[in-house]
Amino acid sequence: MKKNKVYSIEQQQARWGFLFTVPCLIFFAVFSFYPIIYAFQTSFTDRQVLSRNYDYVGLENYVYIFTKNNGGFPLSNSIRATLIFTIGTFIPMIIMSLIIATFLMQLRRDKYRGFFQLMYYMPAVLSSVVAAAIWMIIFDPRGLMNQVSNFIMRSSGVDYNWLVDPVMLQVSTIIIYFWKYIGYFVILFITGLAAIPSTIYEAATVDGSSRWHTFWKITLPLLKPTTAMVSIMAMLQCLKTFSTQFMLYQGGSPRAPIDVITMNIYFTGIRNGRLGRASAMSLVLFVIMLVFTYLQLVANRSSEDVEY
Amino acid sequence: MNKFVGKVGIVEILVWIFLILVFLFTVTPIVFMVCASFMDSRQILAMPFHWIPSSDYFTSADRTFFTNFVKAIMGNNENATFFRNMFNSFVVAIVDSVTTVLLASLCGYGLAKFNFKGRNIVFMSIMATMMIPFEAIMIPLYMVVSGMDLMNSYRGLILPFMVSAFGVFQMRQYLLTFPSEYLDAARVDGLSEPRIYSSIVLPNCKPVIATLGILSFRNQWDNLLWPLLVAQRETMKTLPQYITQFSEEKMTDEGAMMACAFLASIPMIILFFALSRYFLGGAAVYDSRKG
Amino acid sequence: MRKALSVLLVLLMAFSVFAGGAGESNDEIVIEFWTHEDATRQALEDQYIAEFEEMHPNVTINATRQASSRLVELVQTAFAAGEGPTVFNLTNDAVYSFVSTGNVAPMDYEAAGYADAAAVEDAYIDGMLEAVTYDGEVYGLPLELNNWCIFINKQVFRDAGLDPETDYPKTWEEMVEVSEKLVIRDGDILVRRGYDFRYPYYLETIVPMVEQLGGKLISDDGTEAIIGEDAWIKVLTFMQQWGPNGLNLGSPTYTNARSLFNRNNNDIAMCTTGLYQEARIRSENPEFYESGDWMVVPYPVFEDAVADVSACHYGQYYMVNANEDPETIAMAWEFIAFMLSHGEDYLTKVNLIQPTKELMNSDTYKNMPYSDVFTYDLGRAHVLYYGPHANEIQSLLRTAIEGVMLQGVTPEDAYTQLKTSVQELIDEDA
Repeated sequence: MKKNKVYSIEQQQARWGFLFTVPCLIFFAVFSFYPIIYAFQTSFTDRQVLSRNYDYVGLENYVYIFTKNNGGFPLSNSIRATLIFTIGTFIPMIIMSLIIATFLMQLRRDKYRGFFQLMYYMPAVLSSVVAAAIWMIIFDPRGLMNQVSNFIMRSSGVDYNWLVDPVMLQVSTIIIYFWKYIGYFVILFITGLAAIPSTIYEAATVDGSSRWHTFWKITLPLLKPTTAMVSIMAMLQCLKTFSTQFMLYQGGSPRAPIDVITMNIYFTGIRNGRLGRASAMSLVLFVIMLVFTYLQLVANRSSEDVEY
Repeated sequence: MNKFVGKVGIVEILVWIFLILVFLFTVTPIVFMVCASFMDSRQILAMPFHWIPSSDYFTSADRTFFTNFVKAIMGNNENATFFRNMFNSFVVAIVDSVTTVLLASLCGYGLAKFNFKGRNIVFMSIMATMMIPFEAIMIPLYMVVSGMDLMNSYRGLILPFMVSAFGVFQMRQYLLTFPSEYLDAARVDGLSEPRIYSSIVLPNCKPVIATLGILSFRNQWDNLLWPLLVAQRETMKTLPQYITQFSEEKMTDEGAMMACAFLASIPMIILFFALSRYFLGGAAVYDSRKG
Repeated sequence: MRKALSVLLVLLMAFSVFAGGAGESNDEIVIEFWTHEDATRQALEDQYIAEFEEMHPNVTINATRQASSRLVELVQTAFAAGEGPTVFNLTNDAVYSFVSTGNVAPMDYEAAGYADAAAVEDAYIDGMLEAVTYDGEVYGLPLELNNWCIFINKQVFRDAGLDPETDYPKTWEEMVEVSEKLVIRDGDILVRRGYDFRYPYYLETIVPMVEQLGGKLISDDGTEAIIGEDAWIKVLTFMQQWGPNGLNLGSPTYTNARSLFNRNNNDIAMCTTGLYQEARIRSENPEFYESGDWMVVPYPVFEDAVADVSACHYGQYYMVNANEDPETIAMAWEFIAFMLSHGEDYLTKVNLIQPTKELMNSDTYKNMPYSDVFTYDLGRAHVLYYGPHANEIQSLLRTAIEGVMLQGVTPEDAYTQLKTSVQELIDEDA
């Protein structure tokens, strides 16, 4: 009798829980689920942007994007561009932000640390359009970047082809992205570091271990959950990158080296109007991101046994 | 301990040098933007570049200190929509960040603290929406919004971004650590569930609310692709759209573009310094160890 | 403070929800008019729109303007969602896809003030409606006709010890020679360029160069792409030599020359652009315009050219959404005809040519500076490729040309790649 009543209260509560999610679900249903299902369905059709009739073609779009060159811009090249950008950005980003965060924690005064944190985060405040506008001028052949490079390399009048050469172009996109987000990841690491109880460090100091040793043996392992979370987040963000590459292309850079998947989707679907094919590409990107998210969950799970 | 003092000194200097180099890297482009907004295109691309605009620039007859800024505000058609567009950006960003916080905290609370049937499905499907690139759903989304007759309206700009999956995720992660005992105690006291949310859960979410609010404000302030599609009328455009006018091929004017970029950044920079505590402290609320 | 803030928020939200979207009664006609952004044109058109609304009190015209590079995408997206604008203008290359899918309506001759299709064609100079005529019906009217010649800054020529009147380049080989004399470099970096190609409008500018040598983009029967291996490879080699890995005379990543040209900053000597540039020089730099230190010369040809071809001409065509009701469509054509009845104003005030016979033979046109050069080149030009996939072929050309110029692709490889890709596109329709 009593048990039954408890059960019903729980049930009532559970109903409230569901009710709380309803407003969100309505918005998601209209503005996310429906468009996604629509895109999924479109990926099995030969729909073009202006034609009103279309047919179901089964897996033809998927076969096409993996075997044909999609008008000179094959998906394989886009996957390459996306992976190079992602790996080239997030590994240095994680390492650098970890180093910077560790160094910042060494500073004796909070005032200095706050100042550097603020300044590192500044670029993230500017909008992407502004960022692209600034960097396009800096990377101009006559711009600041060539002048600085020539000064550092002690060369004169060398054009490093920042926005032209396939390799340099990819480096340029990485630099811009790096500039924009480094401050954000530094802050994530700082919070992670700050959460490590200082007693552990004190114990280490008493033990007489060197800073280097402390960092490798204590800080790093304790930071593992933060690192896992930050790296996967950075990875997902990099996989979805669009605006930096798009703006550079608009500015006259060649497309192939920086033709990331999202950009290929945009050109195939929006500009060339091949909605079916573009939708198939988005599904591929979806699967790639799903795999990485799965990796995140696995990595997080294995690092949850870290204890202080 | 003392034998390390000399070594620490060197290490410290190296640390400082390193931090200052990173500082130069992040700040130089911003300083460049500010300087360039007072120059004409010839000076911006001068070799070598001078950071201080030359004096003959200011003394020449057809230019004043603020020429670029006047151009930036007047646009290319003497049809000053700059402030209107900035206002639009504010409206969209404020409304979206407020609703995101409210709806996401409500939903995150439901997902974190209640065990209803299908909870995992709800959670997973919300998470899945983060993995579809916006470019892929642009056209169906456009169909929805134009079908609701919301083109060129605030509603069209605002509605699709009233809630974000990331926000729900962040709220859920945060609330998972919220002690259930408080909630149970409130229930014993006879508080209704909505009341518990508004008087206990919400006030306790302050740090994550600040971060999420600022984050979604920034995202909407930054949004270009969607306004480009739904807001074609001059008066409904947002600030990023306004800035892209200056980089369009037919009127490349670097000075005016930098001035425009500078003006557009001012509100965000003010907001940033005013709320830096939340920016910096809160950016890391989303920390897996707590979740 | 907090209370004030929350009141403000509530007000903002209420405002955002209720603003806009006022109801319109049914007998009213609303024309959504999308056009490309053009600072000089806008004031003129706003005035005509106001006049037209005054003449037709039941008509509302909502004009929206977008950058020309984005307009195609926006119009396409809007049509995909079934909400296309009533009247819009696009270039030739986009027309085909709209006509072939039945999205645009054939002209309502009566509403536009013509007897029939033949009368329309008769009003315009030959070939101008070629891109918009299908099965005897006209689907669009040109808002502007453009063909590109070479603009020259005489000061820069004199500065380099050249006489602009006699030393201007007549052939592409001379273009290289002259540019070599005009460029100023700081190491590899170009401080002053001689000539700037019109990147990335390669269908307009590079295809004619191939045709001068006897090559072709697509065979007459439309089955074979990229014809004339020697011609294509010669042009690709020419571009390779022009670029930073060859003689280093220019590259697509420098600021485009036609906006630099107006400023007369001694950083560019020649650029490729149309008659409309004259209006832009006049409004941006009146001093330079009046000085007469600029001139216009015809599009060069190769020394061993087999055909005399200049840069393609292309138009911006007004079209009408076929999904509207007949009444709106008729009114839309009337509106277009009204807008286009101001040809002389467009020419004198903003230097845009609406290629009617009347205008092209008028003294107003003949008195425009260098209009004779444009007319001469128009005679040597053909219309920009407007078949299916024009847009995609344009981007394939971009890949090929920028590949050889910037990424070290050999002209032979670029040619093979280009041919295969374009062939694949046109085979899709076979």
